[in-house]
Amino acid sequence: MRPLTDAWRSTTSRLIIIYGALFAVWCVVLLGIVQWETSRYLSGVIDQMLASRVHYLEGTAPRNMRATVESASQIDVQGAMWMGLFDAQGRHLAGNIATLPKELAEDDVARSLSANLASPTRKVTARVRGLAHALPDGTRLVVAKESSTIDGIGTIIRHGLLWGLSLTIIPGLLGGVLIARGPARRIRAIQQAMEPIREGDLSVRLPISGTGDEVDLLAGTVNATLTEIERLLGEVKGVTDNIAHDLRTPLTRMRTRLYRLQQQFESRPEGDQLDACVGEIDTVLSRFRALLRVSELEDRQRSACFETMDLCTVLRNVHEFYAPLAEDRGQRFELELGRLPPLRGDPQLMFEAFANLVGNAIKFTPDGGAVRLVASTDAGGDARVDIADTGPGIPPDEREAVFRRFYRGDETRAKPGCGLGLAIVSAIVRLHGYSLSVGGNEQGAVFSVTCPATA
Amino acid sequence: MPRALVIEDDEVTARDIVAELGAHGLVADWVADGREGLARALEDGYDIITLDRMLPGMDGIDVVSELRQRDVDTPVLMISALSDVDERVRGLRAGGDDYLTKPFAPDELAARAEVLLRRRRQGANETRLRVADLELDLVRHNAQRRDQELTLLPTEFRLLEFLMRNAGQVVTRQMIFEHVWGFHFDPGTNVIDVHIGRLRRKIDGVGHLPLIRTVRGSGYVLAPAD
Repeated sequence: MRPLTDAWRSTTSRLIIIYGALFAVWCVVLLGIVQWETSRYLSGVIDQMLASRVHYLEGTAPRNMRATVESASQIDVQGAMWMGLFDAQGRHLAGNIATLPKELAEDDVARSLSANLASPTRKVTARVRGLAHALPDGTRLVVAKESSTIDGIGTIIRHGLLWGLSLTIIPGLLGGVLIARGPARRIRAIQQAMEPIREGDLSVRLPISGTGDEVDLLAGTVNATLTEIERLLGEVKGVTDNIAHDLRTPLTRMRTRLYRLQQQFESRPEGDQLDACVGEIDTVLSRFRALLRVSELEDRQRSACFETMDLCTVLRNVHEFYAPLAEDRGQRFELELGRLPPLRGDPQLMFEAFANLVGNAIKFTPDGGAVRLVASTDAGGDARVDIADTGPGIPPDEREAVFRRFYRGDETRAKPGCGLGLAIVSAIVRLHGYSLSVGGNEQGAVFSVTCPATA
Repeated sequence: MPRALVIEDDEVTARDIVAELGAHGLVADWVADGREGLARALEDGYDIITLDRMLPGMDGIDVVSELRQRDVDTPVLMISALSDVDERVRGLRAGGDDYLTKPFAPDELAARAEVLLRRRRQGANETRLRVADLELDLVRHNAQRRDQELTLLPTEFRLLEFLMRNAGQVVTRQMIFEHVWGFHFDPGTNVIDVHIGRLRRKIDGVGHLPLIRTVRGSGYVLAPAD
């Protein structure tokens, strides 16, 4: 599971970002429409003014036209309205527009002019709209008006948009981050609470804030499910343990009686039969013992009997204990010990775990094969113990299952055993907070135990 | 005749223990209460005590602690339904000499009781053990059979010492595992048999009368040939 460390990855943050982006786009579109409508309206007003001015000048007699245009353009000292009269060749006759703007056709349609108007006295620096009109005598009348008001209003609208967006989005995002941190913190708390549950401790419950929101609702449902699972598992485990526990007494008594009979009949053929019966009961009793051992280990508190231990000594003892068995089977049993960090654990239990792993390796390795017990420190500074054999290996799809109680793969069914050894190993490893994995291929299995060093 | 005190509240178990100890030549008295058991253990000169862990009146752990505090060194075999290693450790630390979990085979109980009795009789400070023509020198750390030096590995030496200290007495595989290797769980394989087999090859070689005998359904005994 990936830890939820980045606030930007939370659902709330993502929603806030999406909402903010939509809001910004909406604002831009809305104000764009307002600006467009405003400029269209103002352009219309200017165009009407230009048209009415042309209409007014049109009534002037052609011989007075020059004087009228000249005087009108001089009256207009503020330069709000520009005028120019040009002959058929486009030469300037009168007015304060010095040259005929090229974009203007003589069609009485007002246009925005890109180039500045040139005047005998000054230049127009602002944007203008202009209109050209053909007079009956072949001259051309040009009128123009500054349209900077439209730009001014556009600027005001754009500024308004920028202010609006920054005043909305920046506090919005900051607020969003703050809002998102609350749920993220709770999800992190839930994530932390789930860790021990994932490792098998079903007594843990998810934290509930008490606000009754959807996270609380979900945590409540998970908690109820956990309670039910714990109850069911407890029942199943209780039944298994009780069967194992209760049957031990009658079986032990039966064993005692058979043993006594066997002692009486020792030198007779019945003795062998009785001996076999005692052997069978011993097998059943040892399975019950192993089953109860798994339960006992799973129930144990973490603090039990832990000390700073030397894993090398434990492994040397395991090697010494099993070496004769491997030798009897013509197997090479190698021990390779590197330097290991100090570890906290129960040496008795670790001996039991490695004894089970090595015992299995020897059992499943054919005569003449090899078993290796290798301890080293890995790149992360943790102790790592590998038990590798040259047996048939464990198929990848069985590697999880082998740690379950009573699981026996196809290869193992023919061998003696009860399928509880690895369950014991797994329980011991879990109790220590170590990790256990199985690998290898058809050339053999490799069981690895990784033991984090004590700081 | 050696005397045993059985402190056990379950009547059926108590009867089994008394009968089994009786069959091995011990006179056993039974007490069902912890407090009374402590009083009896303090008064009478018993050679061995079997003590249940959970008792009415006074807990088994308290009984054995009290006995040790009052310098009573009678061997105590603790018996309990609690099989957890921690429980064993607690029982042994409190002063118990051995620990047996319920349910147990009576011959296992008898074997453990006899080992404790023998240890008491012999004392643990003998430096030379001898069984028939087999000799073990604990100081010089060597073993001889009919004046012929035997080469033993450290484990084999410890194993032989345990068998010789309890010569003539059946010891179970579990007892061997606990005493020689010092671990308290079921090794579950035939490893102990393999170790015994190797030792047997070394000490009962060609030309020697076999000393190590397998007792079917029980364990092993080291004894001079009849």
